[in-house]
Amino acid sequence: MASQTEAAVRPTTKKEKTTINPLKSNVVVGSLLPVTLIIIWEMASRGGFVEPHLLPAPTTVLEEVITMAQEGELWGHIWITLYRVFAGFLLGTGAAILLGAATGYIKIVERVLDPMLQALRAIPSLAWVPLFILWLGIGETSKITLVAVGVFFPVYLNLTSGIQGVDRKLIEVGRMYHFTALQQIKRIILPASLPSFLVGLRSGLSLGWMFVVAAELLGASEGLGYLMVFGQNTSAPELVIASILLFAIFGKITDEILKRIQTRTLKWQDNMENAS
Amino acid sequence: MLAVEKVSRIFQGGKAGFKNVNLSLEKGEVVGVLGTSGCGKSTLLRVLSGLDENFEGEIKTEANDPNQAFGMMFQEPRLMPWLNVWENIVFGTGKKDKKQEAFELMKTVGLEGFENHYPKDLSGGMAQRAAIARSLLIRPEILLLDEPFSALDAFTKMQLQDLLLDIFEKHQTTTLLVTHDIDEALYLCDRVIIMRGQPGRIESQITVEAKRPRKRGDSYLAELKQDVLKELDFTKE
Repeated sequence: MASQTEAAVRPTTKKEKTTINPLKSNVVVGSLLPVTLIIIWEMASRGGFVEPHLLPAPTTVLEEVITMAQEGELWGHIWITLYRVFAGFLLGTGAAILLGAATGYIKIVERVLDPMLQALRAIPSLAWVPLFILWLGIGETSKITLVAVGVFFPVYLNLTSGIQGVDRKLIEVGRMYHFTALQQIKRIILPASLPSFLVGLRSGLSLGWMFVVAAELLGASEGLGYLMVFGQNTSAPELVIASILLFAIFGKITDEILKRIQTRTLKWQDNMENAS
Repeated sequence: MLAVEKVSRIFQGGKAGFKNVNLSLEKGEVVGVLGTSGCGKSTLLRVLSGLDENFEGEIKTEANDPNQAFGMMFQEPRLMPWLNVWENIVFGTGKKDKKQEAFELMKTVGLEGFENHYPKDLSGGMAQRAAIARSLLIRPEILLLDEPFSALDAFTKMQLQDLLLDIFEKHQTTTLLVTHDIDEALYLCDRVIIMRGQPGRIESQITVEAKRPRKRGDSYLAELKQDVLKELDFTKE
């Protein structure tokens, strides 16, 4: 039944399907399940099977988003959240590159630094919030710092293990050419640890999104996370769902950007994805 | 060209490595080192190439630039997977003026047209060809080959052995070839050194008088092979 409705609702994609092989297009295959679920949800709401004050129909959520966008208030929230994520991401990645490279290359730094960082990693993200607010105030600094903490650990861990996992056999090739330490790093260790580093960036980014929600839920007057709290307090589930949706969309977009960079820079890798 | 005097490298409590090795190579000479596994022949190459610095004894070369004294080719191609064939071949030169020479070498090893391929797209033989070109580009005084073809199939192996012969002819490279393939050693080398024991010692030397290129089925080589097997204790009475 659901698939019948789908065919009726989306005649245009149906046409596309015939021109580009539908089973090979990831977009089409990937959207099948969510689209079906949304249609079921919409029908359930219209039919009165779910309470609208708990779960409003997708169209209601969409209307809410469009109204907010037209009134202009939405952009400010999106902008500030994006700003926090990116600033935190850059800060966290920068710190992770410095410390991760140092622990990866230099044995003594690893022995001094790594145990402490591993211990800090065990602290749940939300536990930082009160401390950061106390230290840095409730302004942007504390939120960006929290995001940076979230981004830091995955990037740091992946970079360190990437560097330590570089094939000794390749390093020996460099030694045969009497490379200096700097040349070894630049020409062998860095490119060889790039795959692991990029994996770290992607999981760092997703943690960054998670931490920005935490930061905004707990003390913000702007941002998508604040919008969720506001929706909760004013009993407006469409606002909460709309925020979740926007988080999903921006999270997906930013991850897709990193993923494209990853595939492009790692096309030399001999793995399943590059198999032709 | 190369003089190795009383060089020892022993590890694992005296059970591995080699002991008291004396060896000298003339310019342009191709010398093979044969031995059963564990006799320290690969370790010998690692010591000569400078990858293993914990040895006793003396190694002398006539090379002006010690950085260019040795070029090493490993059992595996060891190409950088993130570089294409061309970039891999010029890897380690750093200079741009080697371009013409690199191109020539690429032609010699038969990789023309594969410049832009990544190592993942190469067959084992092609990857090893690229590795040969890479190790020759720096024009080492002495080329060290560590079982370079042991991972390849029989036919590719023969092709690459002939390629090496061409290169010896063309560049007059002084070469030390470590192998466990007796036929390969007799086919390629002027002189074959046989190592035995744990830690390994030089047991004996066999000079191959026949001129290169030799025939693979040569009866003279077959006789020498019998001698080598006897030295290695593999013949049954």
